[in-house]
Amino acid sequence: MEPTDQYNFSIFTPRNLHGRKNRNVIFTMLLIWAVAVFGFQFLLRAIEKPTPEKTLGIFETEWPYVLAGSEANADYSSFLNTLIHVKGKHIVKPADQKLLSEAISNVIFGILPDSVSPLIAGQIKEREALEASLVQLKGQQFVDTRMLIRDKNYQLTSLLEPYSGYGANSLEGPILASSLKSEFPASFSDENYVRLPDLMKLYLTHNQSVLTDTKFLGFPFHYFYTAVFLLILFVGLCIVYNLLIEWRLKKQGVVE
Amino acid sequence: MNKVKPIIMKRIYLTIFILLSGVLALSAQSLTQLEGSFKTGPAIILIATLVTFVLVGIFFRAKDPADYYAAGRSISKVGSGMAIASNWMSAASVLGMAGMMYGFGYNGLAYVVGWTGGYVLLLILMAAQIRKYGKYTAPDFIGDRYYSRDLRIVSAIFTILISFAYCVGQFGGIGLMFKWILGLNYTWSVIIGSSVVLLYTLISGMIGATKNMQIQYVIIVVSFLLPVFILAFKFDYFWLVPQIGYGAAVTDIVQGIPAPNISGGAALLNAYGHDLAIVPSPEFAMPWDPSSGTTFFQWMAICFSLMVGTAGLPHVIQRFYVVPKVTDARWSVVWGLFFICLVYWTAPSYAAFGKLLSSNHEVGMLAKDAIVVYTAQLGGVNSLVVGLLAAGAISAAFSTVSGLLVAGASAFSHDLYVKVINPSSTPKQQLNIARMGTVLMAVLVTVVALMKLGLIAQLVSVAFSMAACTIFPLFLLGIWWSGSNRAGAKAGLFAGILVTTISLTYFIVGLSGGSLPGQAFISYWLNVWYFAWLGAPLAIVVNIIVSKLTTPTPLEIKKFLAEQVHN
Repeated sequence: MEPTDQYNFSIFTPRNLHGRKNRNVIFTMLLIWAVAVFGFQFLLRAIEKPTPEKTLGIFETEWPYVLAGSEANADYSSFLNTLIHVKGKHIVKPADQKLLSEAISNVIFGILPDSVSPLIAGQIKEREALEASLVQLKGQQFVDTRMLIRDKNYQLTSLLEPYSGYGANSLEGPILASSLKSEFPASFSDENYVRLPDLMKLYLTHNQSVLTDTKFLGFPFHYFYTAVFLLILFVGLCIVYNLLIEWRLKKQGVVE
Repeated sequence: MNKVKPIIMKRIYLTIFILLSGVLALSAQSLTQLEGSFKTGPAIILIATLVTFVLVGIFFRAKDPADYYAAGRSISKVGSGMAIASNWMSAASVLGMAGMMYGFGYNGLAYVVGWTGGYVLLLILMAAQIRKYGKYTAPDFIGDRYYSRDLRIVSAIFTILISFAYCVGQFGGIGLMFKWILGLNYTWSVIIGSSVVLLYTLISGMIGATKNMQIQYVIIVVSFLLPVFILAFKFDYFWLVPQIGYGAAVTDIVQGIPAPNISGGAALLNAYGHDLAIVPSPEFAMPWDPSSGTTFFQWMAICFSLMVGTAGLPHVIQRFYVVPKVTDARWSVVWGLFFICLVYWTAPSYAAFGKLLSSNHEVGMLAKDAIVVYTAQLGGVNSLVVGLLAAGAISAAFSTVSGLLVAGASAFSHDLYVKVINPSSTPKQQLNIARMGTVLMAVLVTVVALMKLGLIAQLVSVAFSMAACTIFPLFLLGIWWSGSNRAGAKAGLFAGILVTTISLTYFIVGLSGGSLPGQAFISYWLNVWYFAWLGAPLAIVVNIIVSKLTTPTPLEIKKFLAEQVHN
């Protein structure tokens, strides 16, 4: 009867020299793989710092003055710019977009002369009516209405340019025009705006470090490492492993 | 006779020319809308592609069960690598991955790394050993290695469930692309797409599918890469290697681009005439950005689950049975991974260009799962090329679905019917049962796909976590530790299934608007997209502990492992 432990086998306790060499190759490969993938992410996590965009600094400087309604001290133009820059981000959630739109509308109507405000308000209401009708429209009617909304926004941008400083060809102008609402809390001390500073902080603070700020081949370094280099490494590891195993099998005269 | 042939050829060329001219003229109309209209050029390309698949399927059809399950072990290592890549690159790779990066920034890269890094595990720990073991299917291996009929049945059921979960995302992707091309609604798009893929899988089995997969791979790569070269060239990025060139676009997104964006005296505009301008958006590239709602833990958990799941997916493991030699099994992984990486290096560029091209408020945030096609369309790429891209995405979904349906049908017929229910069945009966299983699975998947339960990449990641918790531990320990016995395997599998069940239960309850005790806690730590971070290690640990405490593995199994699998 054969002893049962003669065939006992595990990756940690190979049965012969070939097995031991094979185990060493496997563990080396796994170690490189694990450190390269997870080690780098841990490093990224360890050295990152919550870093605000410049826009957040401007917002935080202006917010106390805006909240107090201090027209003498507040720079509404800079404040408006910070709101537009957050509103222009894709990632902003619908509820936060609504709040930003209201804040932008509040600033704009605050800086518009009384003679212009009714005209702008009328244009906004017309556009809102068109937007409301979109839900029921299909096909060409839908496309035509979208074009009308686009035209309205261009008109609004042109009308607002003397006061906002943003033309139709600017990045900010179209964001501003499309954000305007006819109804909004008229004072920044309204409870609706309480969460505005937190909202701005959420969208304008990012985890950054030397690894994210360094550029490599045009990429932020960490992005290049994860999206490009790791894949090259995986292919390289596989090739090296195969060559090593085949070289060892040949050397030891093993036929699989 | 000699004169007749050139005349016929001329007529054929003329017909092709007229058809192409018509297609080009008609397709020019298709660019103005992202959705909702019938797109003639892309539709013709799609139909031509599908007809080719069916013809190839018929030409290389399966003649007996060995052909159906394992392609007669006649596929070369490069061919097998292409088939692995094609089988692997599903709608989740071609459509879903770019969508995740477009929507969630750096966290989307967890999918890129997870879906490629798993191949290193697969190669080092499994490929050659699985081929040496010499079984047709994953349940075959598990039933044999753990000398257990029960484990064969349970693993066969999980093979079906994993294939099922994987297919759901694919059918969703097929639906999206049919919707985009044909202007049909989502429901009809899914039904038509699933009917076609079912038809040719039934006709061909895996040998046809393998040939098809090689053709599909070429279509996927060409269609996926071509628009990126065009976009990089058009928008003044380094276009010779756009997989590197888009890095500057990522930096542009982070730093912002003011309008108007002028290059070489001309404005850079999208297809709607909007400037290629964007507000500074570091959240697109910075790790686990708070505004994206994702965390460091989630990045790691997703990445780990996808990697381990890759090495446990039955339809991927099954591909190693179709290569003639052990060395081919190893090299087919390398080829497969390289072919996969060609697409995975490119996918993030769609997210970056998509972000820039849709930055104007009038375009706004687009549907994530269709961002690849929308990006090409917004970039003003010729609609035939966009159509080819959509056909490539459908090819990707089709190739994966065919492999999954074969794996699911194999588990049903080979592992349940032949080995358990009717061991004396004839080859003809076996083939019929395999085909019945394929039809049943396709119908059920179609029904679930119509529910739109999540994004493509997320739906597919459920299958990965399931595989990581159930199949992977059994293969890993089965190959690398002779001490792992039947009782240990059963206990480990139970632990994996328990974690899977908890996660799925909380997900379904949450989806239906309900709440269980600790709903928020489980939904975060054992989320359905990445529960394997806990389930896989737990299943391994339980397997080891119970194996140590119970009757050792029989001698013949140990002997077979030592002599056949590990030389």
